Amino acid sequence: MSGRTVTPGNGATAGAGSTSQTGTTPQDGAPAKGSDADAVAASTVRAAVRALGAGAGSVTLELPDADATRALGATLAELLRAGDLVILTGDLGAGKTTLTQGLGRALGVRGQVASPTFIIAREHPPLPRQDGTRGPALVHVDAYRLGGLGELDALDLDSSLDESVTVVEWGRGLAEALTEDRLEIDLARPRGGEPDPDDPESGVRRATIRGVGERWTGPRA
Amino acid sequence: MTSSGEPLVLGIESSCDETGVALVRGNDLLFDAVASSMEEHARFGGIIPEVASRAHLEAMVPTIERALDEAGVTLSDVDAVAVTAGPGLVGPLTIGTSAAKALSIGLGKPLYGVNHVIGHACVDQLSGGEFPDRVMALVVSGGHSSLLLVDDIATDVTELGSTLDDAAGEAFDKVGRLLGLPYPGGPHVDRLAREGDPTAIRFPRGLTAPKDQERHAYNFSFSGLKTAVARWVEARTDAGKDIPVEDVCASFAEAVADVLTAKTIAACRRHDVDTLVIGGGFSANSQLREMAAKRCAEAGITLRIPPIRHCTDNGAMIAALGSAVVRAGVAPSGLDIPVDSSMPLETITV
Repeated sequence: MSGRTVTPGNGATAGAGSTSQTGTTPQDGAPAKGSDADAVAASTVRAAVRALGAGAGSVTLELPDADATRALGATLAELLRAGDLVILTGDLGAGKTTLTQGLGRALGVRGQVASPTFIIAREHPPLPRQDGTRGPALVHVDAYRLGGLGELDALDLDSSLDESVTVVEWGRGLAEALTEDRLEIDLARPRGGEPDPDDPESGVRRATIRGVGERWTGPRA
Repeated sequence: MTSSGEPLVLGIESSCDETGVALVRGNDLLFDAVASSMEEHARFGGIIPEVASRAHLEAMVPTIERALDEAGVTLSDVDAVAVTAGPGLVGPLTIGTSAAKALSIGLGKPLYGVNHVIGHACVDQLSGGEFPDRVMALVVSGGHSSLLLVDDIATDVTELGSTLDDAAGEAFDKVGRLLGLPYPGGPHVDRLAREGDPTAIRFPRGLTAPKDQERHAYNFSFSGLKTAVARWVEARTDAGKDIPVEDVCASFAEAVADVLTAKTIAACRRHDVDTLVIGGGFSANSQLREMAAKRCAEAGITLRIPPIRHCTDNGAMIAALGSAVVRAGVAPSGLDIPVDSSMPLETITV
């Protein structure tokens, strides 16, 4: 694997829901709630991605609930641009599609971002913003059932890569072929236990973010 | 109703792994030819797009020829060509639309790019007759779970809700995957569920809490249910206990059918609709069929489900929708129509 060697010791850990991280403090000094809480989470994510550029091999964020997972996706959307690739790894139920939902909403793309497992690749074109401009499209892929590079090739993702943010679930070991620069996000959910029947997505997830290539680890990352 | 004066519509479906070609006049199906690459795919554990595109390409012309032959018509009899423009896999869709465009140009007949999901509802007109003024359509398959309010199948469809994450059939396949069943797992889970106790385990019903009523009354979510099944199985495994696979499947299937039917019946009542159509491959699911029949009877709703061969992907659904839009006088599509992998469900024709 290219990029920096990652060891447990050199990863910075930050709680996405906590207020103790670096970043903007609400000006009135009020405790972070509601959208302020999101703002803190966003500042934490930005600091985390800056840390990648500053040489941290990886950063790990705690995501207390599904909304925090979506908030992580939304903040990543601000940092992503056309041509970027994100590879998502994690078991069934870890939050890969949930994260992509937040990302898609923040990018402002058309359609419900749902699981691409059956369709394999779904392109969400950008909707016009208030000023009439459009951001990148979102190409959302599930590589779980792809048998190899030939099948990845057949999806023709390179033709849309330059104009899109491409997110590949289960893409590890395959989607790296698309571009040298990529953001790798590993999501982990609790194993076993009794999920809350009224909130089936309950349970803290951990997102470990790793940047690969000049785009994410270079001085201008 | 006689359909002899109606236009003859050739429909082409290639959004996933079936190459389907059918001929429909009015609501009469002349012939429906389907070539599937599913057997080839099962060896690899799923739909492989590269294989699917090539399979569609190889199957397209022979399937068109077979449909014409069996229907006893020739290409020159065709009055219009309908084709799936989306949603679906881009490669396979491109094969179908390219074939349809070529036929349209060659025959000098109009082209209609239509919506696959709406076709799943419309196909019921071939067996059940023309829809009444307003029907509810629940389209459930491996790739879709959507609730559509149909005021006119050719011109006026409103998407009341859809799955926010996994489709119903996809959740079945994933539960099959985590129980170690062969791909696709859905039919295995369905079979095992019939031998289990649906009340054995109380799995969550997604988006049914009071807090979800405002924004998600008619949306579905099966991802949390899938995760709950995974965690329940993990907890048992970690404790060294056996997994009661039949009970897990039955309790899971019960949760899916419960949410689908409860939300659909509520939508029928809210919108004063007394006919429900359930289409898509997942309408073959036993628990869904049983529960829908029971709850529709209780609510005084007429339930229409097309024959199973018309619930899986096929050309008849596209020819049926093509026939409906031609008869409604909808303008044909341009020859430059793109395919759209995430085609909105309120777009009937492009």
